[in-house]
Amino acid sequence: MSNTFDEISQQLKRRHRKSSRLKWISMGALGLAGLFLVLFFADMLNKGLPAFQQAYVKTELNYTEEATTDARKAIAEELVPLVSRTELRTIPLEMRNDESMIGTSEERWLLVNSEADQYLKGHRHRLNEEEQAAIDERVESGQVSLRFNTTFFGTGDSKIAESAGILSAVVGTVMTMIVTLAISFPIGVMTAIYLEEFAPDNRFTQAIEININNLAAIPSILFGLLGLAIFINFFGVPRSSPLVGGMTLALMTLPVIIISTRTALRSVPDSIRHAGFGVGCSRWQVVRDHVLPLAMPGIMTGSIIGLAQAMGETAPLIIVGMVAFIPDVSATFTEAATVMPAQIFTWSGEPEQAFVEKTAGGILVLLTILISLNAFAVVLRKKFERRW
Amino acid sequence: MNSQAPVMNGQQTPAVGQPYTRNDTACHDLSFRVRDLNLWYGKNQALNNLNIDLFQKNVTALIGPSGCGKSTFLRCLNRMNDLIPSVRTEGLVEMDGLDVNAPKMDEVALRRRVGMVFQKPNPFPKSIFENIAYAPRMHDLVSRKAEQEELVEKALRDAGLWNEVKDKLHEPGTSLSGGQQQRLCIARAIAVQPDVILMDEPTSALDPISTATIEDLMDKLKEKFTIITVTHNMQQAARVADYTAFFHLGEIIEYNDTKVMFSTPAQKKTEDYISGRYG
Repeated sequence: MSNTFDEISQQLKRRHRKSSRLKWISMGALGLAGLFLVLFFADMLNKGLPAFQQAYVKTELNYTEEATTDARKAIAEELVPLVSRTELRTIPLEMRNDESMIGTSEERWLLVNSEADQYLKGHRHRLNEEEQAAIDERVESGQVSLRFNTTFFGTGDSKIAESAGILSAVVGTVMTMIVTLAISFPIGVMTAIYLEEFAPDNRFTQAIEININNLAAIPSILFGLLGLAIFINFFGVPRSSPLVGGMTLALMTLPVIIISTRTALRSVPDSIRHAGFGVGCSRWQVVRDHVLPLAMPGIMTGSIIGLAQAMGETAPLIIVGMVAFIPDVSATFTEAATVMPAQIFTWSGEPEQAFVEKTAGGILVLLTILISLNAFAVVLRKKFERRW
Repeated sequence: MNSQAPVMNGQQTPAVGQPYTRNDTACHDLSFRVRDLNLWYGKNQALNNLNIDLFQKNVTALIGPSGCGKSTFLRCLNRMNDLIPSVRTEGLVEMDGLDVNAPKMDEVALRRRVGMVFQKPNPFPKSIFENIAYAPRMHDLVSRKAEQEELVEKALRDAGLWNEVKDKLHEPGTSLSGGQQQRLCIARAIAVQPDVILMDEPTSALDPISTATIEDLMDKLKEKFTIITVTHNMQQAARVADYTAFFHLGEIIEYNDTKVMFSTPAQKKTEDYISGRYG
């Protein structure tokens, strides 16, 4: 029995309706996800961008003999309540370090304390009307203004909001990532090469494979406990250091690198291996000369994504003590350091209003670095993608 | 034909179990001697008691329907089956009086003497020059740049590709056409100066003109090399092969001089196959 076109189109109508319903549902889901993303970015930018600006006051500094002990003596009296405590602390130090400064004077932009800074940015503040009027006047005359916040990008953490910066956390992150990469990349890639190209397919290697896949799904805080128990307590690696943080994160990154490397190796067609064996290559020569070059873009992409994941990790680092107050920027592997997410975590717990924007600003810096890393991974893949 | 030594060119080759020496007059021009070869993929037996002698400086064609084991047998000759973990072989495959499956035989050394060309052209994703120079350099046949250039030119000339690619040696091998890629693969195989070249359906992915070029090439190459080719195409076997072996269900049904085989097949199955009744 054959159907007429009418009967068939009757049936088709129902199918078309169903597929268009599904299409709308999936587009709705995508739209919702996009909406949340936009909201998140808008909120972060809204809260975080002010952190990249800071109120400064232009003033004449008289480096008198008195000022070496009390910096307030160097500034016009009415400005003293406006200037940050940090500046009052560092000016005498500078003068003691450089005796030739005494007796001279210069015009400088000084940091303004966070209350006035928040007032200028229109955030919550505790200034009375009189103080507000005084600041408004100085803004009119150009003596006080919002400028690019070099302090935020140029210094370490501080308990004084206006002088807290993210540099020590950025340096700490870089040092930690160097350790992570140096450990997890070679070990991960070699493990994957062994498992994929050399290991026989037996129970033992299957067990290893299952365990590696499970390892990738383990809560990251457990890696922190492992790092604490083994690296710090057993091997005595210095606590809070980029070394121990990097080693801990390397454990976490290893499965990601192994899995992505195996996928990359598996995507190299067997015909290339056969060609290599056909001309009398040994297994290692086939891998080194023919398979690895083709798999490299995939391996790099996977490693960068694993690294980006490690870079955003906080939990295991809390356990190994990397959530530390680090005011000084020091690029060593064994001294205490902090990393960006830990720094954001610390700031988010500060009660002062000015730290809200520091928190959001820190998130923006972290996100920028992560997105650039991921973009770099995409570019790398596109650039070295070869056809065969 | 099974389990009894094949008679070739009116000469009786040594029977199964008989000692084999290189000076044996009956087989001085032997390339491979295969006795009682059995092969299993896991539990499935793919080759069943094969006995065959393959001759030097000749083209031998292995024909038969799909899944008859001809490619599997070909890969036994340079131990490419070792790459498949589930494969188990028994029996004797001898080259130059040496058992290729012996523990002390290095498969790398074996594949250096027994080159291979695959069904689908598979040049390395490197330059044409590198495709050919890579293996000889790896085997320390050449080292200096001038030697490499000389060898690349010679291999490409032998493969009849030189005139087409001499101006673009540093372009990727994958940029060539399918037929050129296959000749590049042949050039790559002969660059290491093997004794034998195994060809696994070398023309099945190619157009008729490229196929004809490669057939001509095989005719020339047999002056220097022993060529063993698997083909689906009976006309091709009739055109290029000096000897033909007909495989069916993992057994060698008939093995003879090509002309004899195609004019007066001894077995009914062979006759049915070559006259197109099945396969």
